[in-house]
Amino acid sequence: MVKVVLASALARWLSGEERGERGEIVLEVEAGSLDQALARVFALHPGMRGYVLDDAGVVRHHVAVFVDGHAIGDKRSLAVPLAPGAEVYLMQALSGG
Amino acid sequence: MADRLLVSTRKGLFVLKPGQGGWTVAAVHFLGDNVTLAHVDPRDGAWYAALDLGHFGVKLHRTDDEGATWQELAAPEYGPEDTVATGDSKPPQAATLKLIWSLASGSADQPGRIWAGTAPGGLFRSDDRGQSWSLVRTLWNRPERAEWFGGGYDSPGIHSICIDPRNAGAIRLAISCAGVWQSADDGATWEQSAHGMRAEYMPPERAGDPNIQDPHRMVQCPASPDRFWVQHHNGIFVSDDGARNWREIHEVPPSVFGFAVAVHPHQPDTAWFVPAIKDERRVPVDAQVVVTRTRDGGRSFEVLREGLPQTHAYDLILRHALAVDSSGDRLAFGSTTGGLWTTADQGEHWTAADCRLPPIHAVTFV
Repeated sequence: MVKVVLASALARWLSGEERGERGEIVLEVEAGSLDQALARVFALHPGMRGYVLDDAGVVRHHVAVFVDGHAIGDKRSLAVPLAPGAEVYLMQALSGG
Repeated sequence: MADRLLVSTRKGLFVLKPGQGGWTVAAVHFLGDNVTLAHVDPRDGAWYAALDLGHFGVKLHRTDDEGATWQELAAPEYGPEDTVATGDSKPPQAATLKLIWSLASGSADQPGRIWAGTAPGGLFRSDDRGQSWSLVRTLWNRPERAEWFGGGYDSPGIHSICIDPRNAGAIRLAISCAGVWQSADDGATWEQSAHGMRAEYMPPERAGDPNIQDPHRMVQCPASPDRFWVQHHNGIFVSDDGARNWREIHEVPPSVFGFAVAVHPHQPDTAWFVPAIKDERRVPVDAQVVVTRTRDGGRSFEVLREGLPQTHAYDLILRHALAVDSSGDRLAFGSTTGGLWTTADQGEHWTAADCRLPPIHAVTFV
């Protein structure tokens, strides 16, 4: 299992999930890579896809994805391996204001 | 006369009602979020709100109970292979939704039909009240699209959709910068129809090219649907033949530049504009906010200023920020500095709204 954290700015557009202290949503999904983890999250919440990825399937310009504390190297290459227990953090990039 | 106004702003959607003095805020939705456009469907009373969340993209919401509850809808989406190349030599890029720039309802016998004009230049169609969308590829695949370019944005955008009240299969679009396009067969085929427009910003030999015109806003008179008015980057144009051919109106005081236009719903010769100093400045002439009105099809214009700020006013009115109601007597307009004014007598007297609003993108009567 890996943990996917939706930061509060993203989580506010979702209903029906429990929030953490900072308004974030934490989802536990079975995945061995980042693209699998995102696919699981979007299966649970189909509307979220368009918040994280653009029409071309690329991580949005002003969305940041961290894996175990490190930003991913390429917003187009999501086949990043995830170790069991890894933490994926989806957040708004401050470049977006 | 309409007694409610939806005001789309950089920081939310505001519902205004007439108050003791000016109009006042009755409700706020999406406070803090960038609401770029609202649309009221006359068939079922639904309100649609387009949001640009910046970080998370362009979104669309609908309410069927006048704002008590909102439902998020699918946003129009381009395909992964779709690209945008522009006629001003910007490198081709993947087409991704940048802006919902216009929304229009189909006719009463097309239940669920909604049209969405977007940047970067795609027209989308829904037949289920915005639950799902399809890109109108008959227009998207036109080879002329490679020559289109952005006006105010990096990519071209469809900001005006006119559905003919006599026949909903007759659709006219205005695009910055791609002129006017129209379909007589519900979008199956398209033809260009910006003939007569003039683009001063182009090299002289291209000035008359219909495919690169920059109409800022186009409106159709409901009672006389062959009459169209356009506020263009280079002036005011009018058509009497269903937006096929256009003639230019010259010498409109204090300026022929502006973004917005509204046409009287019953009187095709009556139209309103909000002028500004052209191009590089985009502020009111002499820092005085005025509205210009013609009642004779553009032969003459009156400058209306009673109740509008006349000293050090730097309000710019964007293309969707002027509206007229179905009576033709009530109008409202809002500015990029949050000014909002209404009139109940076709512009003779204006009253400032009793609030200080965020920058205004659009106003829509309910």
